[in-house]
Amino acid sequence: MIRTALLVAGKDLRIERRSRVLLWQVLPFGVMALVLSGLALGPAHAGNSSAGPGLFYLVMLLVTLLMINRSQVIEGSSGTRTSVATLGLDPAGVFLGKALALAVELWITGVVVLAGAVLLLHTALVGSAEALPSVLVILAALAAAGTLYGALSGGGQGPATLLPVLSFPAFAPLLIAGERSYSDALHGGSLWQWWLISLVALVAYLGIGILLYGVLEES
Amino acid sequence: MPDTEDTFDLTPVAAPPTKRRGRWRTIGVLVVLALAVLALLSQGLLHSLNYFETIDQAMSSRAKLGTDTFRLEGVVRPHTIDRTSRGASFWMTGGDKKVFVDAHGSPPQLFQADIPVVVEGHFTSETSDTFIATQILVKHTASYIAAHPKRVKAPNGTVR
Amino acid sequence: MIKQLSQRLLGPVTLALLALTFWLGLWVTPPDRIQGNLVRLLYIHPAIAWVGLYVSFGTSVIASCLYLWKRTRSTIMDRVAYCAMEVSAIFITLTLITGSIWGRPTWGVWWAWDARLTSTAILLVFALGYLALRRANDDPELRARRSAVFAIIAAINVPIDHFSVDWWHTLHQGATVFTQNGNFLVHGSMLWTLFLSLFAFTLLFFWLLRARYRLEVLRDQRYAASLDEALAQRRREGVH
Repeated sequence: MIRTALLVAGKDLRIERRSRVLLWQVLPFGVMALVLSGLALGPAHAGNSSAGPGLFYLVMLLVTLLMINRSQVIEGSSGTRTSVATLGLDPAGVFLGKALALAVELWITGVVVLAGAVLLLHTALVGSAEALPSVLVILAALAAAGTLYGALSGGGQGPATLLPVLSFPAFAPLLIAGERSYSDALHGGSLWQWWLISLVALVAYLGIGILLYGVLEES
Repeated sequence: MPDTEDTFDLTPVAAPPTKRRGRWRTIGVLVVLALAVLALLSQGLLHSLNYFETIDQAMSSRAKLGTDTFRLEGVVRPHTIDRTSRGASFWMTGGDKKVFVDAHGSPPQLFQADIPVVVEGHFTSETSDTFIATQILVKHTASYIAAHPKRVKAPNGTVR
Repeated sequence: MIKQLSQRLLGPVTLALLALTFWLGLWVTPPDRIQGNLVRLLYIHPAIAWVGLYVSFGTSVIASCLYLWKRTRSTIMDRVAYCAMEVSAIFITLTLITGSIWGRPTWGVWWAWDARLTSTAILLVFALGYLALRRANDDPELRARRSAVFAIIAAINVPIDHFSVDWWHTLHQGATVFTQNGNFLVHGSMLWTLFLSLFAFTLLFFWLLRARYRLEVLRDQRYAASLDEALAQRRREGVH
């Protein structure tokens, strides 16, 4: 299972590196969304708002949606799904691999957007650095949930409007946990409970994915 | 091409033993999921998902709260309600502590003595026990007791 | 014979019990000490929530599990899951509406972001997502499998919603009937009317589910028939 996971993750990341979609499309999108958030707050509030953590996670949610679509489209192109099926790869491994690749991509984007939040929304640098570990865990949970929902919504072939409807209710608790942990980090609150909560969410989505991804892929 | 049939072995083979491993994996994952949920529950976590703080909680973290805006819950003390032109002021108790609430805006219809309320606002200073509220919410309990038939009607028509 | 009779009686009995509930709730039971006549929502709101969040959502999730388990996989399970979720979506919506109507005069606000209300709203979005997922897939087997997986994931939210009033401080009141120490906090005739309403609305759920299930069967039949007809037409065209 682990070997399959690494194989699939390697494949996805290589495709991503060669196509440069992450660099030229996703990262600019994330930064632009952050700028738009600043504009939405208005010049009076953009610099000293307590909405920074929430906006950061909102932007990351939108980025996640883009990346899920991307991750599923790769799978749909020129018979990849069929070849994966005929190779007899363990579906749990495929799930873990795709989730891992998505997580790595989200981590890269997350660090850039976090830096953007510090620059544009004047979120405190030290607090943001303290929040980074919980950000990484929550982004990983988003990746796991997103991979599952990507397959659910039809893996790139389904209507693109379906994915947000399906995934937002599942993302909402992660958004809440993320926003609160980031805010706590900014105000010097205790972080360990948020660590535990986000870890539990991550484990839960990984577990469900390992169990049910095969059901979605079998045909 | 008569030879190809010899080179390919077309006899059916037994399915790989995925079933067994699948079952153990299922059990393993379910156990991990159960443990994760238990970990979450046993810690009494997610304090900040609370809608309000009780008076005891607020008093114990008085220094941290300062003059921040938050929601505070307590029971309205009888005979302390004073309807002002801006709203109402009253004493609110919780545990053995009490807070003086000065609320702006009209209180809800059910607002009265001896019921739990949630007020949103802030303390006037780091040490004072005066709380300026912008909103009063009545938190009704889960007990339903028939109004006594001989009780008088309140001026606004509700039976108390 | 008994099955036939119970099927025929389900509708009338449900209506009679609902009528009895409304009569007891509106005329016979006394006003509450604090809430006055607002207490009469007690005979509607908890029962609707009970059906929406537990009975119908639960039915849908159990049917989904049974569908995914290979030994009990059948179209029946898929249809039950779908029809129950549709009923659930309607009842959760009604729960939020009746809750708002109750909340405005008692709490003073239509809506509060406390744990119970928020998790119920999230559950509604899950139910709507399920229905969207059903519509987005044409292949019946694929649709059945995907929606079953989605229903199971959504089910995580049900216990969170149920225990939210115990785990966190919420503006919403705590458990009324299923209290931890088993003490009822509702008095006399109010309690019995509450129980009656729970029972009547549960029957209503089964009645609605049965009607919706029949409709689904008819729809499938019509689809199959129209497909046959189209095929026959193609053949006739080919003969010419």
